[in-house]
Amino acid sequence: MSTIKELYAYRQMIFSLVKKDLRGRYKGSVLGFLWTFINPLFQLIVYTIVFSKILRNDIPRYYLYLFVALIPWIFFSSSITVGAASIISQKDLVKKIYFPRMVIPISYVTSCFVNMLLCFIVIFAVIIVTGAGINFVAVLTLPVIMIVEYIFALGMAMIASAVTVYFRDLEHILGIVAMAWMYLTPVVYSKKIVPDRYLPLFNLNPMTHIIDCYRTVLYEKQVPDLTALLWAAGLGVFFLVFGAFVFNKLQRHFAEEL
Amino acid sequence: MAENDIAIEVRNVTKSFKVYLDKGAQLKERLLFRKRSRYEERKVLRGISFDVKRGEAIGLIGHNGCGKSTTLKLLTRIMYPDEGTIKLKGRVSSLIELGAGFHPDMSGRENIYTNAAIFGLTKKEIDARIKDIVDFSELAEFIDNPVRTYSSGMYMRLAFSVAINVDADVLLIDEILAVGDANFQTKCFNKLKEIKAQGTTIVIVSHALGQIEQICDRAIWIHEGLIKAEGPPKEIDLEYLDYMSRKMQEKNKSESDAEEVSEEETGKRWGSGEVRIKKVRSFAADGSEQKTFRTGEDIRLSIDYIVKKPVKDAVFGFGVFDMNGIQCYGTNTRIDKQPDITISESGTAEILMKNVELLAGEYNIDIAIEQGEGIPIDYFRQAYRIQMISAMGDVGVSRIEHTWKLKR
Repeated sequence: MSTIKELYAYRQMIFSLVKKDLRGRYKGSVLGFLWTFINPLFQLIVYTIVFSKILRNDIPRYYLYLFVALIPWIFFSSSITVGAASIISQKDLVKKIYFPRMVIPISYVTSCFVNMLLCFIVIFAVIIVTGAGINFVAVLTLPVIMIVEYIFALGMAMIASAVTVYFRDLEHILGIVAMAWMYLTPVVYSKKIVPDRYLPLFNLNPMTHIIDCYRTVLYEKQVPDLTALLWAAGLGVFFLVFGAFVFNKLQRHFAEEL
Repeated sequence: MAENDIAIEVRNVTKSFKVYLDKGAQLKERLLFRKRSRYEERKVLRGISFDVKRGEAIGLIGHNGCGKSTTLKLLTRIMYPDEGTIKLKGRVSSLIELGAGFHPDMSGRENIYTNAAIFGLTKKEIDARIKDIVDFSELAEFIDNPVRTYSSGMYMRLAFSVAINVDADVLLIDEILAVGDANFQTKCFNKLKEIKAQGTTIVIVSHALGQIEQICDRAIWIHEGLIKAEGPPKEIDLEYLDYMSRKMQEKNKSESDAEEVSEEETGKRWGSGEVRIKKVRSFAADGSEQKTFRTGEDIRLSIDYIVKKPVKDAVFGFGVFDMNGIQCYGTNTRIDKQPDITISESGTAEILMKNVELLAGEYNIDIAIEQGEGIPIDYFRQAYRIQMISAMGDVGVSRIEHTWKLKR
């Protein structure tokens, strides 16, 4: 409770770190902020070619099917992989001055989140330009889905960033984990083709439900299945609380380890 | 005393650091060289307890590595104690690492915002203070230039201005006032006094004992991870300095053993040797033996001597030299028109020096016993060393008593 109060007091620091991160990320590059869009677009093109032209599937508008799942996935995976190094990259601050350490993963995940929101502008543009159509009622549930994903991503980022301080290999291990995780989550394929005996395993993965919800809303134009969303929210909150607990334990020796 | 008058409460705090002899942070290293990642545990704090009242200013003193900076770091919560508890009330600001988080490409103004945010200020609060901060830093004309164009002095001024204008309830300071030029230092110093007058609790770690004496109500001397003494700064500082100079002399002594012989060889001592100086000691006005004195205090110097052969018509003398070898004073019993002395048996001579106005620093004292018109019996150069301390900033060798008459 006191942690939340303190974090609220430090909200200005979170804002300014997010701003600094967003502004600084592409500083000096010619295309600058455009990279926020170019990067996922190229991934989209590659995956679309591979999975609809080469490995052919019968999903109509596969590019959109993939796009609405890929953008949220990129948010999640960058939150944990690059987020893992967030404490280390701010070690000068951590060693020199007091502030609630959680500010760092929070602001990092938030800046990834803002990036995702910007990419959603592109998603909506694509939907409109291609005439895929929007269900406005369903879109209203989108913020809830995003918040659930944010909570889960934050929980994971807290654990990843805190453990990485003590165990630097984790940063690289997480790169592999994130890739495996992506293929074990129905991002490039449909949940329907997952063999039944593996389904319980897939259902344990909060990202399965989260990605599914995004797709239901933006691709199938329907209100998502509430039980799936609740399940994901439950897991998300669990990981956030657990992550905060782990983080609080580990942060006591940050200054000495860095 | 009411419970909520305590701003800082430190109880039985211990802290040790792991000193890795060969540390591997990677998986491969951890697995392969498990035996190698041995470490030594160094206990820096061994159980420290103290309270600081609200509005009180305390100074932590001690030699390097005694644990005073660690204590301050624990107070800021950059680190946590192994055992024991620390409680702080209110907003804490620290002048420990000035300018942490400054971004060279951003302007001074933007950096004020980010830096103040690190202290937990909201945008509104910063808006309210920005003018004070800029004014105090005297950087108004550069405030919209990127910080990388600043000189290091300007940089520190900006950082200090932010930290000191946070309006903290507790202010933690490590080695203050090494900031900028003399003018700005004075300004900082006055600001600190002002802040203190407003009721801010202040903890200072410093080697500049004079500053501690001027600002602090209490000094805590930390020695090898324990509190050795605490009390009024003037007393504790003196005790501490006295201890330090004693230790220094012990060290020097053990380095040059078999003194008696080598003194003559090194040209520090000469004379016929009929009477020899055995021991020199110094005492404060209250009779306690010490080697550190405050400018303006009385010093009593006592010289024990042994007689090998009685001497008639003896003269005692002493000279005081600063560390550059410049003689500050010198006299002897003949100059002072004392009656002739006949030394027939071992004894003690005493010199009572009133109101010694030598300024802060170390001074060597030569002691001499001569006969008649200057035939040395035992001339002992640098026989003794004393240390003077002063809380005032006046400079030179000796204080000249003075008053000012100025037009208002």
